[in-house]
Amino acid sequence: MKSRYFWAFFFGALVLGVSANAQQTSDRPAVSPASAATGAKPAAAVGKGSAAADSARAADALPLRFETSWGSADIIRGADGPVLGTVGWFRGFDVEKLVESSPRAVTEARRFQTANFRGSLVSSIGAATVGIGILVAGSNANNASTPIIIIAGAGAIGWGLQHINTGYAALSKALWWYNQEQAR
Amino acid sequence: MIRLVIAVSVGASLAFGGAPMLLGQATSYDDNALRIENQRGDMLVVRGAAGNPVGKIGVFRGLDLRKLVGSSEKATVEAGKFVRDYKPGMLLVSVGIVAMGAAFASRQIQDVNPVITIGLTLTGIGLVAYGAGRLENAYNALERSFWWYNRELQH
Repeated sequence: MKSRYFWAFFFGALVLGVSANAQQTSDRPAVSPASAATGAKPAAAVGKGSAAADSARAADALPLRFETSWGSADIIRGADGPVLGTVGWFRGFDVEKLVESSPRAVTEARRFQTANFRGSLVSSIGAATVGIGILVAGSNANNASTPIIIIAGAGAIGWGLQHINTGYAALSKALWWYNQEQAR
Repeated sequence: MIRLVIAVSVGASLAFGGAPMLLGQATSYDDNALRIENQRGDMLVVRGAAGNPVGKIGVFRGLDLRKLVGSSEKATVEAGKFVRDYKPGMLLVSVGIVAMGAAFASRQIQDVNPVITIGLTLTGIGLVAYGAGRLENAYNALERSFWWYNRELQH
């Protein structure tokens, strides 16, 4: 009699435990966004066994972050994780694809790409203008228009840097929304 | 029979014991995770999906970041790095820009020694570059600090 209660208890726990687990698993994308962005095949697809698939899934569940380095930024998964890609100064890593599991992250990623390209372009033109202005000021061709060229170039650099700054704020937000989706 | 139903129910409720915890973790992240918003050039710290403002990051008066992320040890260490680099970085960049402005102004004056102009230009460029490096370290530390803080909300 007692063993029947034990089996009933065990069966109830098993059935509902499995259904809860299945519900959690269905919330995750079949192919991880990181694998999709980098073109890497998920571990399960290459038949390395369930242990490899589990560790790959666990690694993909780690939150994303970025670290900047002189005009570009590495997108990193986890505390010491791999660098998934580098963005900035005309680099074309597809952030939108990486964060595609979260619609709000995609919106911010798009904002980042627009602002970053615009900012990089205008600040580069500004830097070139300032350089030309300084060269002209040092030569015999120096005239009243030289300060205007330098000031215009400096203004363009300022405007461009402001846009790059806005872009990185959008990237930070994109990764935040993506990590929030992962936390669910 | 009723004992059988109770046994099944108890087993089921124990199996579901983890589910409310997962829901709680998601809620905690949704409500408490920190991030930076850029508001007309100002760095604003906001909390949660709703974006509730927590405070501004500034040179002279601003948020006590170490206190804000104090619940996470690693986040506090990174916040300390931010505090160490942010103010000197801003100061060096500002002084560098002033030095470059002074160099530009001195170029317009006929009697100024060219060595002074060149010295001011090089000093300005050096200060801006060094200050920008310190600022970059500060922003990276800030990003890592919030990352650790938010990560520990999930555990």
